Amino acid sequence: MILQDMKPTRRSFLVGSGSLAFALLAGGGVSVVRSAGAEPATAGLRDINGWVVINRDGSILIRFGAAEMGQGVNTSLPMIVAEELDAYWATVKVEQVSMDPDGIFGNPGFGGILFSAGSSSLEGYFDHLRRAGATARRILIHSAAAHWGVSPAQVTTEAGVLVNAASGKRMAYGDVVALPEIVTDIPAITDADLKPRADWRIIGSDPGRLDIPGKTRGAALYSIDVRLPGMLYAAQLLAPVEGESPVAVSDRSARDLPGVVQVVTLANSVAVLAERWETALAARDLLDVTWSEGSAFRKYGSEQELEELSRAVDDASLPAFAWESRGDAATALAQGTRKHAATYSTTHLYHAQMEPLNAVASVDEDGKGAEVWLGTQSQTISIGVAAGVLGTTPDRIRFHAMQMGGAFGRRTVFARDLLRDALLLSRAAGRPVKLMWTREDDVKNGWLRPATVHRLEATLDADGEVTAMSHRVASPSIMQFAFPTRWNPETGRDLLVMEGTESTDYAIPHFRAEHVITPRRCRVSAWRGIGWAPNCFARECFIDELAEQAGADQVTFRRNLLRNSPRGLAVLDAVVAMSGFGQAPQGRAHGLSFAGYKATRGAGVAEVSVEDGRFRVHRFWAAVDPGFAVHPDNLRAQVEGGILFGLSSLMRERASFTDGIIDQSNFYDYEPIRISDIPEIEVRIVESGAAPSGAGEIGVPMTGAAVANALRLLTGTTPRQMPFGVDVS
Amino acid sequence: MISLSINNKLVEVDTDPSTPLLWVLREHLGLVGTRFGCGAGLCGACTVHIDGEAFFACQTLVGDVADGRVVTIEGLSKQGDHPVQRAWIAEQVPQCGYCQSGQIMRAAALLARNPQPNRQDILDEMSANLCRCGTYARIVRAIERAAEEA
Ligand code: FES
Ligand code: FES
Repeated sequence: MILQDMKPTRRSFLVGSGSLAFALLAGGGVSVVRSAGAEPATAGLRDINGWVVINRDGSILIRFGAAEMGQGVNTSLPMIVAEELDAYWATVKVEQVSMDPDGIFGNPGFGGILFSAGSSSLEGYFDHLRRAGATARRILIHSAAAHWGVSPAQVTTEAGVLVNAASGKRMAYGDVVALPEIVTDIPAITDADLKPRADWRIIGSDPGRLDIPGKTRGAALYSIDVRLPGMLYAAQLLAPVEGESPVAVSDRSARDLPGVVQVVTLANSVAVLAERWETALAARDLLDVTWSEGSAFRKYGSEQELEELSRAVDDASLPAFAWESRGDAATALAQGTRKHAATYSTTHLYHAQMEPLNAVASVDEDGKGAEVWLGTQSQTISIGVAAGVLGTTPDRIRFHAMQMGGAFGRRTVFARDLLRDALLLSRAAGRPVKLMWTREDDVKNGWLRPATVHRLEATLDADGEVTAMSHRVASPSIMQFAFPTRWNPETGRDLLVMEGTESTDYAIPHFRAEHVITPRRCRVSAWRGIGWAPNCFARECFIDELAEQAGADQVTFRRNLLRNSPRGLAVLDAVVAMSGFGQAPQGRAHGLSFAGYKATRGAGVAEVSVEDGRFRVHRFWAAVDPGFAVHPDNLRAQVEGGILFGLSSLMRERASFTDGIIDQSNFYDYEPIRISDIPEIEVRIVESGAAPSGAGEIGVPMTGAAVANALRLLTGTTPRQMPFGVDVS
Repeated sequence: MISLSINNKLVEVDTDPSTPLLWVLREHLGLVGTRFGCGAGLCGACTVHIDGEAFFACQTLVGDVADGRVVTIEGLSKQGDHPVQRAWIAEQVPQCGYCQSGQIMRAAALLARNPQPNRQDILDEMSANLCRCGTYARIVRAIERAAEEA
């Protein structure tokens, strides 16, 4: 059932007021629970786990299931509910969903679980949230109609007010809470019941993000900020290489430090528990640990891996998993006469989210339950991990999904180790524990974007049309490593690596994309833009080179390829117009890239110069088609951020490892882009009216080739390895 | 015991004078709006004011500020309405928000010293602070707005 005990924190909402809570159930049913004003103070109040709570005072609480990591879902998702509910936006408050025992809040586009990744929240939740809002509105209408003794068809709504035009009667939403009868037996919402787009007044508008005022006062709370009575601080000395463990621990001097409570040996680390964080850090420095040192990963370095990938991409005898196939690319490529081939590569990258990973856990006395505070991209997975660690059931985990100080793919399943260790430490100490990584811990234990090598081949016909193209990627699999239970070794389909190779917008009769899966040499994970970033970089550099071979300019050549894709053409034309493509000022050049991210289409133009062997991106224009924009200003902000994330990955960012150990340690040797390096950015939203799709990552994939193609014009050669470094001479 | 003036209040903390001010603020005093990003003076997430100037709290030993007036994001304004904070809302700067206390404190110190900074002044000063979400363009606009409106 959908009832759960109400948390005391919610009580303040209800005291002396009463409320109605609305849930749209998985099967399309609806449930409403009313709580009377006087009850909250007494025992036994039940609250419903619903999307919408309407309070007697007219305020409305809307819950959102996606996890807030900076992408603004705390505002954009509730806007969708509020639109169909016809709420008065200023009365809306929002709340992050931390737990979903009854499967109500999961992303329908993500297997119905709480999981925020792949820019999928808006796309996945859109329809569902509209229905949730429309259902709640219909219940209000039917209830008011019954009260007034009129037919529901005679009741309309106006931003938080129910209206019966014939009688002139009006009732605020909050007043429905006090009606003697709430009508919940209503016809189900159909598509025809949803507001036509022309009537939208919240979707497509720019209310400020609801989390921003707090974030300007330092008031947002991240898991790293949690402090609990009796809480201990934990600093971890982590195994130098994956798979190693402590074999001998000499901790006498660490234990002797006043304030050190315990030194605990875990599977891959030794942790110091202390009353204070500074003590935990100081004691960690005093540990003397001998590690097993037997890890196979000690044999590898990143340079070596890149060579391995280059060999693999060229070795036709290696098996490759087909990712996309149209026509007969093999035959067409073999028969073609005007051929072009090129190889591109990308090196490992680290996420560098600004909040170093951390976890807070307080294990119950019986060791079979816990309260947990965590920044995670998947509440569902984290709760499952916690239950597994304690050998208990998920209902024993009281979970707080905290605002994340950035995630970028690092905090999906890739952050479970800290959660595990925080739980084990709390259980060992019998006290709440805050486990924090330093920046050095976070870098040295990074789960990196894998290095990739891309081999592209194409043939042109006599008219310069692309008749066949293939895109072969060599890299380790992320899916196999991160989601072993969902990995099918027969088909070898790794969407985290291969998405973005499909080139479906391009009219190429014979096409194939394939993945040569190489052995994993370090921890790998998804990184903002996933496969789209490296794949679009390689493909769009190649397209520019093909245009040159065909004797066509970059725009005409791409327009022809996009002839069957109106959405592709629209963003390409928009960015060409915005940028005055090809008319760069003296000493600068324009580079163009078409690029998508899942259903979202985008195209970018970079204006670049090279001075003293260093490149600089002066301006960047982007045109993006997300179907339509639910929250346009936030969408622009996401694209701006994505563009800078992408540009950053072309410049100084580069992770490497030697003998299994990541070489970098902090922002001096892994330096994300700074404000002094940014171009002027202009983002235009080009709405096709298609179903809405995400924008958190679309800025990233367009950057690589846009800059590389400009550099080719300036220097005569395409930089084929990303990052290009700032020095390109 | 070390006595400190923080946000115009005198507080006493029981720690070693060599403890970074950052840990004192966050973990001893619960002023968690000042963030930990790198602990090495490389990111600016921990930026606070000491006698009106921007400092990295992670690089400042608590024993060294006994005579100074420390102001954190929580003490920048009473109602969260410092011109920089207002401009930050108007330009919708924050995304994840984690770097933003530091950005705002540095921007406020810049404007206190140089009320009409040009674009280069802004870039030079703000280069000390990283924002991984990529809010830089809006940071520039917000500082320009705050300078105009102050
Ligand atoms: S935490 Fe102080 S500069 Fe990064
Ligand atoms: S807003 Fe996320 S790091 Fe700046």
